[in-house]
Amino acid sequence: MGKKKSEVYSVEVNGIKDIETANEGDGKEKYKGLKDHLGHKKDHQKEELKKELDLDDHKLNAKELEDKYGTNIIQGLTSARAAQILAQDGPNALSPPKETSEIIKFLRQMVGGFSLLLWAGAILCWIAYGIQLAKDKSASMDNVYLGVVLALVVIFTGIFAYYQEAKSTNIIASFSKMIPRQALVIRNGEKKEIPAEQLVVGDIVEIKGGDQIPADIRILASHGCKVDNSSLTGESEPQSRSSDFTHENPLETKNIGFYSTTCLEGTATGMVINTGDRTIIGRIASLASGVGNEKTPIAIEIEHFVHMVAGVAVSIGVIFFIIAVSMKYPVLESIIFLIGIIVANVPEGLLAAVTVSLSLTAKRMAKKNCLVKNLEAVETLGSTSIICSDKTGTLTQNRMTVAHLWFDNQIYQADTSEDQKAQIFDQSSATWVALSKIVTLCNRAEFRPGQEGVPIMKKIVVGDASETALLKFSEVIMGDVMERRGKNRKVAEIPFNSTNKFQLSIHETDDPNDKRFLLVMKGAPERILEKCSTIMINGQEQPLDETTAEAFQIAYMELGGLGERVLGFCHLYLPEDEFPDTYPFDIDAMNFPTSDLCFVGLLSLIDPPRSTVPDAVTKCRSAGIKVIMVTGDHPITAKAIAKSVGIISANSETVEDIAKRLNIPVEQVNKREAKAAVVNGMELKEMSQEQLDEILINHTEIVFARTSPQQKLIIVEGCQRQDAVVAVTGDGVNDSPALKKADIGIAMGIAGSDAAKNAADMVLLDDNFASIVTGVEEGRLIFDNLKKTIAFTLTKNIAELCPFLIFITAGVPLPIGTITILFIDLGTDIIPSIALAYEKAESDIMNRKPRHKKKDRLVNQQLALYSYLHIGIIQSLGAFLAYFTIYAEQGFRPTGLIFLRSYWEDDYLNDLEDSYGQEWTRYQRKYLEWTGYTAFFSAITIQQIADLIIRKTRRNSIFQQGLFRNKVIWVGIASQIIIALILSYGFGSITALNFTTLRVQYWFVAVPYAIIIWLYDEFRKLLIRRYPGSWWDKNMYY
Amino acid sequence: MVTEKEKKTRGQVLEEWKEFVWNPRTREFMGRTGTSWAFILLFYLVFYAFLTALFTLTMWVMLQTLSDHIPTYQDQLATPGLMIRPKTENLEVLVNLSDSQSWKKHVEILDKFLEPYNDSIQAQKNDVCRPGHYYEQPDNGVLNYPKRACQFNRTQLGDCSGLSDPTHYGYSTGQPCVFIKMNRVINFYAGANQTMNVTCVGKRNEDAQNLGDFAMFPANGNIDLMYYPYYGKKFHVNYTQPLVAVKFMNVTPNVEVNVECRINAVNIATDDERDKFAGRVAFKLRIVKI
Repeated sequence: MGKKKSEVYSVEVNGIKDIETANEGDGKEKYKGLKDHLGHKKDHQKEELKKELDLDDHKLNAKELEDKYGTNIIQGLTSARAAQILAQDGPNALSPPKETSEIIKFLRQMVGGFSLLLWAGAILCWIAYGIQLAKDKSASMDNVYLGVVLALVVIFTGIFAYYQEAKSTNIIASFSKMIPRQALVIRNGEKKEIPAEQLVVGDIVEIKGGDQIPADIRILASHGCKVDNSSLTGESEPQSRSSDFTHENPLETKNIGFYSTTCLEGTATGMVINTGDRTIIGRIASLASGVGNEKTPIAIEIEHFVHMVAGVAVSIGVIFFIIAVSMKYPVLESIIFLIGIIVANVPEGLLAAVTVSLSLTAKRMAKKNCLVKNLEAVETLGSTSIICSDKTGTLTQNRMTVAHLWFDNQIYQADTSEDQKAQIFDQSSATWVALSKIVTLCNRAEFRPGQEGVPIMKKIVVGDASETALLKFSEVIMGDVMERRGKNRKVAEIPFNSTNKFQLSIHETDDPNDKRFLLVMKGAPERILEKCSTIMINGQEQPLDETTAEAFQIAYMELGGLGERVLGFCHLYLPEDEFPDTYPFDIDAMNFPTSDLCFVGLLSLIDPPRSTVPDAVTKCRSAGIKVIMVTGDHPITAKAIAKSVGIISANSETVEDIAKRLNIPVEQVNKREAKAAVVNGMELKEMSQEQLDEILINHTEIVFARTSPQQKLIIVEGCQRQDAVVAVTGDGVNDSPALKKADIGIAMGIAGSDAAKNAADMVLLDDNFASIVTGVEEGRLIFDNLKKTIAFTLTKNIAELCPFLIFITAGVPLPIGTITILFIDLGTDIIPSIALAYEKAESDIMNRKPRHKKKDRLVNQQLALYSYLHIGIIQSLGAFLAYFTIYAEQGFRPTGLIFLRSYWEDDYLNDLEDSYGQEWTRYQRKYLEWTGYTAFFSAITIQQIADLIIRKTRRNSIFQQGLFRNKVIWVGIASQIIIALILSYGFGSITALNFTTLRVQYWFVAVPYAIIIWLYDEFRKLLIRRYPGSWWDKNMYY
Repeated sequence: MVTEKEKKTRGQVLEEWKEFVWNPRTREFMGRTGTSWAFILLFYLVFYAFLTALFTLTMWVMLQTLSDHIPTYQDQLATPGLMIRPKTENLEVLVNLSDSQSWKKHVEILDKFLEPYNDSIQAQKNDVCRPGHYYEQPDNGVLNYPKRACQFNRTQLGDCSGLSDPTHYGYSTGQPCVFIKMNRVINFYAGANQTMNVTCVGKRNEDAQNLGDFAMFPANGNIDLMYYPYYGKKFHVNYTQPLVAVKFMNVTPNVEVNVECRINAVNIATDDERDKFAGRVAFKLRIVKI
């Protein structure tokens, strides 16, 4: 385990993270937090870490590379050599995550749960037959059949569970299917397209904008090549790629392109240096599979429940085996009793019902955009107590949008909702006209052609995020931008670059009478302001004096403080005499003025929260779920978004806020007073485990900013140390270890990488945080409903068990047969127990705390006791009444039955006298016994209907819940009755199944007990509602 | 990582169990304090007392619906079964001539079984009835109790009566008597007003040969209608069911002989596939002679 852990962190050492902090220190320092975290890790692991860093191809020049990989940069590899390497290294593809083989999965189903117990029962049956056969050649085959039936039950429920699991796995399999990619490679001096899988180390490949990089490559030549490394780093800023060696760290140098990242624009030629699993992505993917997959909470609960029931079964079985032996029953018969007790105690159909319930919920969740990969994860979401959410795309819309405007000395708010229809700011000012013109013209982004029918917000734009935002903003407000750009023909342009920090273009005006050129400029506000000497107020140019400059500063600070990206806009009409029509603008010589311009206004951009998110966060809060934001963004932006979605509530402060308010140093603030915390990734790195724990415990509202995807893992582990059930969202490849580690990993369906989807338990089809909350609701509901299902199912086990106990101790004819029990467990009870999965919540389940992983068990003492010792006992009495009624009305009064067993079962005693002096043959008695089975069965069925109805609620009255709201319950009841009728009247003559045709009135014998069950439960619920917290509540509420 | 946490040492587990059984801090025994235990036990006491009362009540109500003299239903008893005396384990009548203990127990059973048939007892308790007719004793509105039974005298069994019989029903000489009786069924009019009798055969051909001759008492294995209908143990006191005795005269010794006897009556089917004793009885006869 320890070793695997270190491997996970070695990714971090690789330095995939921290690209943004690369300049702030050398590689060594970055290890610090890691070392702290690992603390006790041993030396040899450092070796491993080193090995991972071995990549030095970025330092080599072209000649050295050629030598190292035995290739030729111009000619490429020869086909023969390529084939040879391919045979040696294997195809260039990620080996799929290690799947457990189907047979193992199947066998696991065969031995999981109660199967072992039933196998034991079956084997005991065969052993019993063996003993009988040894004694008497004509031994009846009954035990063999029973053994076969038990084995079939195990096999069929196993196949069923396997099938259910396979079905849900298939949903995902189809989902993540990849399209084979092609790569342009130079071999034997010729360019050709080959499937990317056949690439080998040393191949020379060419990539162009739009391609996915087919392997890890060393860039040899580049023309304006930019790549999107977001799948690797989570950073979505495009990064340029060239052949220059710029950084020691292979992950930060510009001359390496990584497998599966996308080339956004430009072209490049590169040499393949790593393929398949040896690529960086491949290594991370294989690390993710190294992180142990946690058992889901529901799996733990079911295991706990299975252990409990199996424990009860085995101990009762053994106790009565001993009792039977000491009562001088032959061992053989005692073994047969043991089998009966086991079969009676095991709810054979329950696990199948649970599986179906879970998959029904999974289906329901899929409709709400939560695709669940692992059935059990359905419930995990419900028990979630902490959600570590990404910001970008999950909480936010994942697109830059104009949020605020500042002109005429005033800040205006723009509509940032998904459709941006309601732009309400004042558009009458002449300043706005000028500003809108700059926004429209000084912009290189364009709509991709051929999208006429598409709503503006959905149109695909070619250009960077900010320009896209501005383009859409002006398109929404002023209509056809492209047309207006056409009218204001562009004559010169300086694109944005990081040294200038501005963008400039010069246009003809659309006023035919105005022959002046218009110079428009946008950029970093302070840079823009420097270049201005006037400012436009209400359409009038005014000199830029101290006061206006101050107003600008205040506005700039305010918008910046909101975490928004602020852009300044200015313009200048070039005088016609100096710049006539034919003036040759030269952008290199800059033969036009770039100072004394007129400042027009500011626009601020933000990736706004999704409109559904604040509501969802509020819901989470009332549901007792802590939402932690984990983002790579700047703390200010992160905090602003956190505030706007409610992760940090309006009136809570961070330590820093308090310090600022009280004007004291941060150190003096009482940390307990601050509800909120914004933790920087850099700080996190310096923190010890205890410090992190302290933050997680003391603050209810936490934002982690500037974190790398790897730090997510540390945060997740921290949360899990608090015994929390942690849900983690992620999309990048680097998120996959955290997704695996989390109790429930949630991958983004749209933005998510395949690796993330592979590692996750759930895929959010719409990337929307709000979908998680509906998922939580479903998960909680299914937990409650599973309780009901289990309570319903366990109850009748007592009614099935008591007959055996009475049979052994009081020697009455057997009240119910083993086969009949199986018909209840796997026949009449199956559909009703599934029907409970459709039950609506009793109260607002989103208003209570998430269940405590260790305290709030699925099957608790109260549930077991109430089912077994209350309802179960009442049910047994009702069934015994039916049993005694049958025997009494046919001639055997109850007193006559006691210790009748040895005579009753004597095959050669064919004149057994009943209470009236009549004499019975063995077969006549047997038939009566089967009628008794049928009556007992019908009584249990009738009372299970009452049991089903009472299980609809745990606290509320049935009438509060509504008897008819869950229609499926009635389907269940109908199925119970129909199956029972078919068994009694349809198979009445097939004695192999031990059912006989029952007189109509016997179906009603247990009805009084059914009514009592219902009355008693209503009484129980009434007291629970009346006296919350009382002794009754504590002991009777399950 | 997880397994490390979850794996507890054996000592810890033991400690946890100890604490569960008796927790000195909270003074809890098996997770409950003394008062809690008292409460819960009291609750169950009351609850189960209530359930016991309830069950008793419903059982009492149910028993009230029963009649004393006839069961509510006789669904399974349409065809009475046949049975033999002596009833032995496996229904095998084994007579070892050199070992008197082997048949003594049969004789004891028969002595006891036939005692109520002694002529003196019959004459004292039972009526002499008109043969060939059912002895009906309807209630006609007033309960006709107790009902009388017809005499079946032991002497009617002739050589098998065992009266002043030195051969002990023929067991000491290897010519055993086996008694056939038909199961009592209340209000069953056996024979449907026509004569009926019991016949016996060897089950298979070789059995028929090995069986040899046999004599039946009363003659032809006749069962008279006057013994029917039966009115039940409680009302039909002193009822002695009619018997047919079969005396096997010369059974081939040292072989197992399968004998099947059946009743020939109009309203008794003897061909039930599942119930091998409906209207018939099969038993084994084995005379061991050295």
